[in-house]
Amino acid sequence: MNKAFKILVFILITFVIIAGIILPIPNIPALGDKARVLYFHVPMSWISVLAFFMSMWYSIRYLKTKSIDYDIKSFSSAQLGFLFCILATATGSLWAKFNWGSFWNWDPRQTSIFVLLMIYGAYFALRSAIDTPEQKAKLSSVYSIIAAVTVPFFVFIMPRIVESLHPDPIINTQGKINMDRNMLIVFLTSLAGFTLLFLWVLNIKVRQEKLFIKKQGV
Amino acid sequence: MSSLYDFLETNSMYVVLFIVLIIWIGIFGYMWKIDRKLNKLEEDYK
Repeated sequence: MNKAFKILVFILITFVIIAGIILPIPNIPALGDKARVLYFHVPMSWISVLAFFMSMWYSIRYLKTKSIDYDIKSFSSAQLGFLFCILATATGSLWAKFNWGSFWNWDPRQTSIFVLLMIYGAYFALRSAIDTPEQKAKLSSVYSIIAAVTVPFFVFIMPRIVESLHPDPIINTQGKINMDRNMLIVFLTSLAGFTLLFLWVLNIKVRQEKLFIKKQGV
Repeated sequence: MSSLYDFLETNSMYVVLFIVLIIWIGIFGYMWKIDRKLNKLEEDYK
């Protein structure tokens, strides 16, 4: 990653932190200032979805080309997706304590993200259970593709068809975005900033894994 | 200095802001360092 990219990540996220905390927001019933969590919590969830889909894409590439580089990318994406999914769950849960009164109450959103964590937890269990690198790559690629198919259902569909306490999704069931203009700007910057941050971390992770394999081969 | 203290005492949101900024700058600096170290390692293993 070049210097300009990293500086852009720094500027975007620093802007989101400053504007997200300081910029006044309209009074949102039942949420108040806690609505600011959206600038940080939603991008975590978005990145986990993006990472799981990227893992699927690299898995397909691996199965087509059998190049171990794609397996490394697929595994690293899934690992980061899992990490961001945990961050989304933890930040959401902390917010829920102060909005719903308890950290965990099996709201459809919480249930669906929990199942998603289980599905990807099984992916890592599968990987660690196989010793042969080729077999590990092949089986986990197939699993990653199947797992990613369930992601849209758990993240986008289920919370929209089941009654939930969770605030409206950003794009609501009518297909519209009901958000104050300033908030929308900070939110979109946040999405962009955290997405770039994810790509940077992914790049570091992939390079580290490649070096590790090279070292083992030496 | 005392006026900054008074300002922060009455606007506690800015204290939170400074804390989060310090954390972010720390994480960013650390990642920048890891990236540079990886570059060096990649050169060595070429």
